[in-house]
Amino acid sequence: MAYRDEIRSFIVENFLMGEDSPSLKDATSFLEEGIIDSTGVLELVGFLEETYGIRVEDEELIPENLDSIENIARYLEQKKG
Amino acid sequence: MTLLDLIQEAAFRFPSRIAVKDSSGALTYSQLTSLAGGVARGLLSRGISKGDRVGLLVENSTRYVVAYLGILGAGCVALPLNTDNTQKNLLYILDQCRASALIGQSRFIRKYDLWGIARGGRLLVVTAGKADYPINDERIITWDDLLGESDKALSSLSGGDLACILYTSGTTGRPKGVMLSHENLRSNAESIISYLKLRASDSILAVLPFFYSYGSSLLHTHLAVGGTIHVENNFVYPNKALERMAREQVTGFAGVPSTFAMLLHRSNFKRMEWPYLRYVTQAGGPMPPAITRELKEALPNTDIFIMYGQTEATARLSYLPPDLILKKAGSIGKAIPGVELRCVDKAGRRVAPGETGEICARGPNIMKGYWDMPEETRKVLRDGWLYTGDLATVDGDGFFYIVSRKSELIKSGAHRISPKEIEEVVVELPDVHEAAVVGVPDEILGESICAFIVPKGEELDKRAVIRHCRKNLASFKVPHRVETIASLPKTSSGKVKKYLLRDLVAV
Repeated sequence: MAYRDEIRSFIVENFLMGEDSPSLKDATSFLEEGIIDSTGVLELVGFLEETYGIRVEDEELIPENLDSIENIARYLEQKKG
Repeated sequence: MTLLDLIQEAAFRFPSRIAVKDSSGALTYSQLTSLAGGVARGLLSRGISKGDRVGLLVENSTRYVVAYLGILGAGCVALPLNTDNTQKNLLYILDQCRASALIGQSRFIRKYDLWGIARGGRLLVVTAGKADYPINDERIITWDDLLGESDKALSSLSGGDLACILYTSGTTGRPKGVMLSHENLRSNAESIISYLKLRASDSILAVLPFFYSYGSSLLHTHLAVGGTIHVENNFVYPNKALERMAREQVTGFAGVPSTFAMLLHRSNFKRMEWPYLRYVTQAGGPMPPAITRELKEALPNTDIFIMYGQTEATARLSYLPPDLILKKAGSIGKAIPGVELRCVDKAGRRVAPGETGEICARGPNIMKGYWDMPEETRKVLRDGWLYTGDLATVDGDGFFYIVSRKSELIKSGAHRISPKEIEEVVVELPDVHEAAVVGVPDEILGESICAFIVPKGEELDKRAVIRHCRKNLASFKVPHRVETIASLPKTSSGKVKKYLLRDLVAV
């Protein structure tokens, strides 16, 4: 759960003007809801790399890994083993 | 002969060829022209007349293309609007050019709460069912209503008729409406077609928005030759776009410097094979020579065209032939066919090779002026020449090299951003005494936005600044960085020395 909470706070703080919204569910697609654009994805990648000490490889830059709180949490779990 | 005539001709020759394809489906040339005719007749039958301005707030899609060609076919003036926007800015534009109608995707009409514009007598066409509308107004109709039966005759068009108005960031903070005629569109498209040698067998993956001049030129040129446009809005994840590019075997690709930085450094591009890719084009700001070299190494058998232009010139002004990109590295090339370019000093005299002057352009692609801004127009259109505001040198062989832009617009990704507009929003905050916004070099974006703020008190909540910007600016205009400073460096006349601020954050 820790990943989900941390990711949620990052998204809320950086892309939702600090206002958490009930419509932001763990499975909400950032792209479809217009929460994140291409610069946002790079900011998100920067956050993940710094916070979790991982390197997001080029081939890992896909929505399956990054496009929702749930997807990111799953990706981090795999990555951190 | 207008651009629409060329497209009709393509539809006559290749009725069943795919014109546009997006994730929801494809339209053949015959379907596209027939639907666009429906939009044109639908507008005219609802009281919209030739010459009326019609806003278009739709993301890149087959529907965008249908609506755009429909507006032009009705003899109306298309007003492509940035979908990443604010309500305030959209209303300003619709009012400034006294638009009679708006065709909008329901998602954006909802997001910017634009339902009210129908009350002012405007026609609002929304791409969703009536059940979704918060208000009931007979001036709000659906896309299907618009395309309903109508036998309204279409008026004939001449080259001098206004075709579209593209709004660009002004240094004053207020956007300016660049007026382009049918002749502007056709002449620039034909010139680009000739040097890229575009044919009906060509196809392109379009990741650039059609509401900017570069994206718009991809649309015009491909439709004029009977080629195919694959609309791809998912460049947020370039690997997905690349898979599609390979699958569709596209022959062309167009990007701004940040597009190529993303491809080379944040995707699988270099590890893939591109046997069908005949050419790529780059415009929209200077690309670092290292990126150009890397691109050439990644695409040894593909022609790379470095190009330069302005919305005020419809799109394109110059290009560097692919065989010279290493020999003339850093150059924007020479004028495209049909256009004259020269570099002049302050007195309007042509400068000698190696000396710096302002780039001026003359040709059938130069805009008619800025909508309802005669003074702004006079500043840039003088004695039959467009003064671009860009400073350049010309070498002994006649090749142009940009030195700097006279204006202070920030180039971030595909966007031109007015620092003044951001500064005006930042200083609305009670804790801010003064602010100056500059573009600083960024590996991917070209430039990122940095706001320097002189706080009123001791402390400043930087996050509050960002939040305030997010509420009041389009997302691509929100500063990436906020720095506090005791005072802004200024000239004796009080102008902020922005180059000193840029040096402070340069790595």
